[in-house]
Amino acid sequence: MRLRIDMPDLMSSVFVLMMSVSLASATEVSDALLREYQQAAAKPFSANNGEILWRQDLNGRSCTSCHSDSVKAPGRHKRTGKVIEPMSPTENVLRLTDSKKIEKWFLRNCKWTFGRECTVQEKGDILLWLSQQ
Amino acid sequence: MNTQPGKIRWLIGVAMIGTALTLGLGGLSISAKETWQMGDYENGEHADRPRTAFEQDAVYIEECGACHLAYPPGLLPAESWRAMMAGLEDHFGENAELDQETASHISSYLDRQALQKGKPSPMSKMLRNLAGKPPLRITELPYFIHEHDEIPKRMVTENPDVGSLSQCDRCHKEAARGSFDEDRVFIPGFGRWDD
Repeated sequence: MRLRIDMPDLMSSVFVLMMSVSLASATEVSDALLREYQQAAAKPFSANNGEILWRQDLNGRSCTSCHSDSVKAPGRHKRTGKVIEPMSPTENVLRLTDSKKIEKWFLRNCKWTFGRECTVQEKGDILLWLSQQ
Repeated sequence: MNTQPGKIRWLIGVAMIGTALTLGLGGLSISAKETWQMGDYENGEHADRPRTAFEQDAVYIEECGACHLAYPPGLLPAESWRAMMAGLEDHFGENAELDQETASHISSYLDRQALQKGKPSPMSKMLRNLAGKPPLRITELPYFIHEHDEIPKRMVTENPDVGSLSQCDRCHKEAARGSFDEDRVFIPGFGRWDD
């Protein structure tokens, strides 16, 4: 039996292969994580509440301390001065593409900003707002 | 009837060999870059190329380099790194906690690459006059203090482009590669350092 290769079939396989190795999009990752959070949260997520939390100042600490006033602009680490790329997924395609990374920074930065871990409700609200920016 | 698939297979074969060659050559040029010997600068045509000799670790660079320069591990003894890794939840006042898997990966990298007595390294001078328990901060090593004691405050802490001596790479542009050659110091707003 001879192996027959059909050109259109081959091209579509190559295309599927290329798509599967490309970065998962921010929407896919954040949507999946939002669905997961929602199962453990009491209320539907609110982007508006997310923004309020993002801008909330607690003893001189806020998300904006390091991420700057605009999520579409770069920020600066308050302590070290290192430039932090914009949080907005439309400005920065690498944002919200890795759920492990999202979890890591929620853990660390909620503790820094609010002095405690964020609740699932808070994380969902913030993530929903960020994913729309 | 069979000529067409044969031709296509031949084309695919050529494409695969081509890709393999390109990747192979790319890989070679990358590894050539990463295996420069560390120490002083090369002479002649590559005089501007610093040598990098310590093992680079992508996880270390990603995790620690997210907030600050991924300090070359050879700048501190293993004892300092171990103490630091044991207290990441309060990392000089910041929360830098890592999951267990990432933390142990970084710990073993730091252990392998740490500043060590008798191990040849361009950073071995950092051990000079070090007695007792080593500090957690590179900037508290006696040799570090000695090397930086003549630099006026206006060039460092009072210089908005520098801010503190912890910001190695503001003046030592090749700090990430472990190169701290005094002749190559460039202080933002002041220029070359000449003592």
